[in-house]
Amino acid sequence: MKPSIAPLKLRMAACAAIALVCIVLGVVMPEFATLQLTSWALYGLLAVSLVFVWGHGGIFSFGQGAFFGIGAYAYSLAAINLLPITNETLSSVVLATLAAAVVAALVGYFIFYGNVGDVYVGIITLAMTLVLFTVLSSTADPKYHIGDAQLGGYNGMSAVPPLTLPFGDTGMPLTVVQSYVLVVVICALVVAGLYILLQLPFGRVLTALRQNELRTQLLAYDVRLRKLAVFTVGGAIAGVAGALYAAWAMFTSPGVFGLALAAQVVIWVLVGGRISFPGAFVGALLVQSVSFALGGGAGDATPVILGVVLIAVVLFLPAGVVPTLTGYLASRRKRDLTETAGTAQAEPEGPRLEALPFKSESTGAALGVIGLEKRFGGVRAVENATIEFAQRGVHCLIGPNGAGKSTFFNLLVGRFAPNRGAIALGGRPITRMKAHDRVRCGLGIKLQVASIFNELSIRENLWLAAYGRLRSSAAAGRRAQELIGWLGLGERGDSHAGSLSHGQKQWLEIAMVIATDPSVVLLDEPTAGMTTEETARMAAMVRLLGDAVSVIVVEHDMEFVRALDVPVTVFHQGSVFASGSLDDLRRDERILDIYLGRHGKEHAA
Amino acid sequence: MAVSIGLSIAILILISLGLSVLFGMMGIINLAHGEFLMFGAFATLAGVRLHLPLPVAMILATCVVAAYGWVVERLLIRHLYGRLADSMLATWGLSLVMSQVAVYLFGSATQGIATPGGSFKVGEYSISVYSVILIVAALGLLGFVYAVFTRTKYGVMARAAVQRPQMAAAIGIDPQRINALTFMFGAGLAGAAGALLAPMVGVMPTMGEAYIARAFMTVVVGGSGVLTGAAAASVLLGGLENIVSYLSTPFFGQAALLILAICLVRVMPTGISGRLRRKL
Repeated sequence: MKPSIAPLKLRMAACAAIALVCIVLGVVMPEFATLQLTSWALYGLLAVSLVFVWGHGGIFSFGQGAFFGIGAYAYSLAAINLLPITNETLSSVVLATLAAAVVAALVGYFIFYGNVGDVYVGIITLAMTLVLFTVLSSTADPKYHIGDAQLGGYNGMSAVPPLTLPFGDTGMPLTVVQSYVLVVVICALVVAGLYILLQLPFGRVLTALRQNELRTQLLAYDVRLRKLAVFTVGGAIAGVAGALYAAWAMFTSPGVFGLALAAQVVIWVLVGGRISFPGAFVGALLVQSVSFALGGGAGDATPVILGVVLIAVVLFLPAGVVPTLTGYLASRRKRDLTETAGTAQAEPEGPRLEALPFKSESTGAALGVIGLEKRFGGVRAVENATIEFAQRGVHCLIGPNGAGKSTFFNLLVGRFAPNRGAIALGGRPITRMKAHDRVRCGLGIKLQVASIFNELSIRENLWLAAYGRLRSSAAAGRRAQELIGWLGLGERGDSHAGSLSHGQKQWLEIAMVIATDPSVVLLDEPTAGMTTEETARMAAMVRLLGDAVSVIVVEHDMEFVRALDVPVTVFHQGSVFASGSLDDLRRDERILDIYLGRHGKEHAA
Repeated sequence: MAVSIGLSIAILILISLGLSVLFGMMGIINLAHGEFLMFGAFATLAGVRLHLPLPVAMILATCVVAAYGWVVERLLIRHLYGRLADSMLATWGLSLVMSQVAVYLFGSATQGIATPGGSFKVGEYSISVYSVILIVAALGLLGFVYAVFTRTKYGVMARAAVQRPQMAAAIGIDPQRINALTFMFGAGLAGAAGALLAPMVGVMPTMGEAYIARAFMTVVVGGSGVLTGAAAASVLLGGLENIVSYLSTPFFGQAALLILAICLVRVMPTGISGRLRRKL
């Protein structure tokens, strides 16, 4: 269960209050403690970058340490070269942040636009970290320098200027306390900025993305672009932390690219919880102060402790340490609540069919497919398929298992690219388009398994679907409200979609497809897992949809197809075998052969 | 030059083979792979210190690391199947512990085993015998892995378990046992790589780190095809690294390897072997 979201203003106020308390603490504490606290705050900021990328973006990155390191090196190089000219180093912090963001964007482009799996993201970011370590360690030779700055190989760069303001003839370096205050303010600003970002439509789409990437894409959202944006922002945050860290330490070494730091970031986040920004600071503070108390960050046993903590947390507390504790407390409180709830489950069994809330102004665009072919290795799953669908009305695709109708459906959706042939929507070629662009062109897609966002409310589900096309938060909110009414779920609009029954989830998904305002609707086995009664309602619904737009249904259930009484296309061994009304087809001996397997030709999927 | 390129490629094959087996057959990324390798090297060193002949020490070391892999699978990996990020984190924790334990046991100084075989001359160039042995050994190991997966009962069952786990279980293949054996096999390959590399490079607790990045890149570029992927990616990346290093410095060689790998991922997201039909 998701904790209720505190209002944004409250969070802003909390950020400011906590920052203020930290500043006061830092001013009254002895200077060495303030100095120590500065570094822990920066570690916390680094952990925040991972919370954002991993917890909110769903991208498992080992590379936050690397972006931290890039920020540190970039700051060191820039500050050494620029301080004599500009008498300040704040511009170097900005440059370093940009450098880390640019590297993150480049690496992210290759990762996300290459569509590599989640494993690879972890491996590539880790490998990048290790390679940077090796590369920068081998720069001891004096020939490796940028301007006045020697890279220094394994020993790193010393005499890095501290944070300096452009006052006086040679600039005014900040004192320990001043630096601390600046760091705390930057941390608070970053966290406040992230809260605002998550409150925007962008943040809601991220939540959706984390739960169900495919569904998000099928609601017309470009998933790759959003992941890239998250990764870049995360890189920038790690970069600013690294730059400030280099200024704090007045020193930078390849150690920032070492495995120890990379592991520590993950541990802080595991301790503090994957989605909590304050948790990131708590995690960093807890782990660092404990390891400090146990004999310092440089102690021999540090890696062993880190390793054991990693293994133990993963094995025993996979949700994180702090969330497990708070979750335990919350579950004790909830037990009292659940006893009173759990009544009032009398639900309307489906939407009001008489008033289909269709708005499509882009109707009249028909889907056409010419000579489509898809091969998997030597198998031709779809071969030379040519079908022209009508601008309105329902069209069923049937065929025995392995006939190629699922592959055909996936070609229409854009999950596979065809080897040959073309697909056009309203005369516009969409053959090479990604799924989300197809949806934007007016394709509405419902997959076989109800794929809604279980952990979001019904309203949020519908809002996401409407926003993908409308691009206006307010308009999407109104549309969501309208669809909730249509579904007959008026009072439950704000409860979790996961709490709906199986049939209701199917209706919700249909409503989401309608919310994307499609001109062509693709339904993959819409009656799978439905009762006879629900199937009848679905048939009525599909017919109604067909009055407004073109509907293409892939279906197994012959009862359902018969109830629809619409044109049917039979697939057999990858090709279009026959088309016509179901009655015509039933008179065709060959079709009976296919279904009864008299020639034994069909093969399993 | 040819031998030097061949050696680069052979080293990549050696260090990535075990990782590739675990990834391709089990979908597990073993972040402690480098430390398994380091373990193999230290076990070989220990054998040599006990006056065992080098080949015997190497084979024993391989067996020790394989046995250790079996234990790790039992205690740790078994609980983490299907939890990809968690298995990466846990093996990472293991790698931190292993390298530090190695520091306690052996000290952090670099130790060496005398490289056997001396060298011979071809024209003006002097070639070390051991580098030729390494190339042959890498090819031999590739052949060995191929034979294990195609010619043994275990290999056929393991491939079946990868392709259709439920079906494999339904016809009486015990996936737990197969997984344990596969992990052991992958660990053994890492140990063998460490053992073979020991006489050529300095043996030290942090040696795993030096190789692991390259091993990862090889597996990423190679994809999930255990043999074809690892071999093809090794040829590509090893060749490039060596040529760039030769033309400029090892600094740029490493950087070129990383950049090529990331670019290749953009073009071939499922790796080289994803383009091929036969998955082995």
